[in-house]
Amino acid sequence: MLTISNLHVKLEDEPREILKGLSLNVKAGEVHAIMGPNGSGKSTLSYVLSGRDGYEVTEGSAMFKGENLLAMDPNERAAKGVFLAFQYPIEIPGVATMQFLKVALNSQRKARGEKELSIPDFMRFVKERAAKLNISQEMLKRPVNVGFSGGEKKRAEILQMAVLEPSLCVLDETDSGLDIDALKVVADGVNALRSPDRAMIVITHYQRLLDYIVPDFVHVLSAGKIVKSGGKELALELEANGYAEFVEKVA
Amino acid sequence: MIQALSKTPAEEAFGVSLPHRRMEEWRWTDLRRSLVKPYPPHQNVVIANKDVERLIACSPFAKLTSHRIVFVNGSLDQARSNFTGLTFELGVPSSSAVDDPVIHLNSAIEPSGLTLRFDASMDVPVEIIHIATLGAARAMALRNRIEVGEGASATIIETFVGEGDYVLNAVTEIHVGAGARLDRVKVELESHDATHLSYIDCTLAKDAKLNELTLTSGSALNRQNGNYLFAGENANALIAGAYLLNGKQHADTRLVMDHKVPHCTSREMFKCVMDENARGIFQGKVIVRKHAQKTDGKQSSHALLLSETAEFDAKPELEIYADDVVCGHGATAGDINHDHLFYLMSRGIPVAEAKSLLIGAFVGEAFDGIVNDTMREAMVAFAENWLTARKAK
Repeated sequence: MLTISNLHVKLEDEPREILKGLSLNVKAGEVHAIMGPNGSGKSTLSYVLSGRDGYEVTEGSAMFKGENLLAMDPNERAAKGVFLAFQYPIEIPGVATMQFLKVALNSQRKARGEKELSIPDFMRFVKERAAKLNISQEMLKRPVNVGFSGGEKKRAEILQMAVLEPSLCVLDETDSGLDIDALKVVADGVNALRSPDRAMIVITHYQRLLDYIVPDFVHVLSAGKIVKSGGKELALELEANGYAEFVEKVA
Repeated sequence: MIQALSKTPAEEAFGVSLPHRRMEEWRWTDLRRSLVKPYPPHQNVVIANKDVERLIACSPFAKLTSHRIVFVNGSLDQARSNFTGLTFELGVPSSSAVDDPVIHLNSAIEPSGLTLRFDASMDVPVEIIHIATLGAARAMALRNRIEVGEGASATIIETFVGEGDYVLNAVTEIHVGAGARLDRVKVELESHDATHLSYIDCTLAKDAKLNELTLTSGSALNRQNGNYLFAGENANALIAGAYLLNGKQHADTRLVMDHKVPHCTSREMFKCVMDENARGIFQGKVIVRKHAQKTDGKQSSHALLLSETAEFDAKPELEIYADDVVCGHGATAGDINHDHLFYLMSRGIPVAEAKSLLIGAFVGEAFDGIVNDTMREAMVAFAENWLTARKAK
C-alpha cells in the first residue's frame, strides 16, 4: 500500500536534513509502530506523508497504491485514503464539527466520483460512530476542536477517521496528553477500524499506547532513519532499555 | 492655517462643501476627491416596475418579512409599502443637531423620510428598503426616525440596493426608550458604482438595549458614521459589523460611543474581509464622560486580507474622563491561518472550499449576535453566496 524509499527531507528554509534516507514498506492490514526519541523525525514523517507545506523532499520517494504520493495536494491524498491523526489537533473557530465532517466526507466522495450522502444518511452515519467514542451531540455542534479537552480532541480525531474511512491511518503521538481511561477509549476506536484493507502507522514515543494498539511491526526511528525493525517485542525492549543505545549509535 | 478650497463640481451641485483628507476623521476617505463629477439631487428617472421588483428581490430578507417600507430613488413608494399595524408619520423628522458632514449633505439634498414608532412590542421585523434604479448620476437622501417606546421591542432592517452611478445619503435617528430593545440590521448592497454615506444618531435611555449588525458589501465607497449616546443608566449596545469587499471597494466606518451616564455597556465588533484591491477602515471612539463611572466599553476590529494588495486601517480612540471604568480595544489584521487551511485540506477539502469555510467562519462571528434565526441564516447565506462568487472567479 505504502512504499517509502530512501526518503530525504529537509525544512524548506533551513539546510538541515531531518529525514535521512528513510525506507518503509506497509501492506494492507498491517499495523506499524514507529518509535523514537524526540527530534528523530517522527512528526516530520507524518507531515510529509500528509502534505504539509514547509518541507522539501530532496531525495527518495513515497508511493501510495502505486501513485506518487508526494506530488499530490493534501486534499488529494485524503481522497485517495491517507489520514493523519494530529498530535495537536487544530482548533477552527466558527466551523461546526458536524458541518466540517459533512464537507470533508462529501469532498472526498466527490473526488472519488461517488455520490454525496444525503443529510439524514450522513447524520445517522456520524451519530453511530460518535456514540462509540462517547462523543455527544453537543460536541458535534461545537466548532471543530474549540474548547475541547485534550482527550476530546483525540477522540474527535478518531471520529474523523471513522467517518472518512481512510485506507492508511497515520497516528501521530495519539497517546500524548491522555489519561489511561481516555487512552482506552481512543485505542478501542482505533482497533475497531483495524481491517484487512486498512493499514496503520502508529507514531509514538512511549510503549504504553502499544499495549492497547498492538502492532505487527515496530521500527525505531533515530536521526532521520529507521535503525532497527522487529515485532511487537521490540517495543518492550525499548521500554526497558530506552533509546540510548540508538542515539549513541548515530552519534 | 486652513485655506479655503475652491469648490469642486460636486460641491457646486450639492451647495455644501465635502469632507476631505485634511480633516482627521476623513483622512482615509476623501469625498472631495472621490466624487469627481456633480451628482445633482432630484433627477427624474424613468422607473420600470420590473426593475423595482427585481431589486427588491435582491434583499436577503425579501422572503422574510411582509412589513416592508419601500423607497425608490429617494422617494417613498406608498403602493409597495405595507404599513399594516405600524404607527408612523410621513415626512422628515426634526433634524438631528449633530454637526457632521454627512448630515449637512443630507439636509442639502433635501431627504424624504418618516418616523416609525413602536409603543408596543412588535415581533416581526420591519424592513425599510431603498432602491436606486439605473439612471443619470444623481444624489438621493433619506432621513428616518425610529422610536422604540418604554419597555417595547422591535426589529428593524435597513436595506440598500441599487444599480448605476449615484450617491445615496441615509440618516437614521434612533431613540430606544427606557427598558426598550431594538434589534437593527443594516445591509448595504448598493451598486458597485455607487457612493453610500450614512449616519446613525442613536440615543439609549435607561435599561435600553440595542443589538445591531451592519453588513457592507455593495458600494464602491461606503462611509458610515454613527453616534451612540448612552443617556440612561444600564443601557447596553452591541454593535457588530461585517465587510465583504473586493475590487476597488472602499468602506470606512466611524463610530462614537458616548457614555454620558454610569453603568452602561458598549461592545463593538467588526469582522472585515477584503479581497483584491479593497480597502477597509474602522475608526472607533469611546468617550466616557466624567460621571459615567462603571462604564464597560470594548471595541475590536479584525481584518482578513485575502490578497497582497488589500488593505485595512484601524483607528481606536479612547477618551476617558471617569476613573472607574473598564475600556479596551483590539485590532488584528492578517491572511488565512495556514494551520487551519492545512487541517481542512488534510481531511480532503479542496483549497478553494477550505478557504471559503474559513472566511465564512471569520465573518460569521459578526452575525452570531442576531437573535432572529431566519435573519441570521439570511446573513450567513449572503456570505456564502459572496464566497461562491469569489471562488468562481
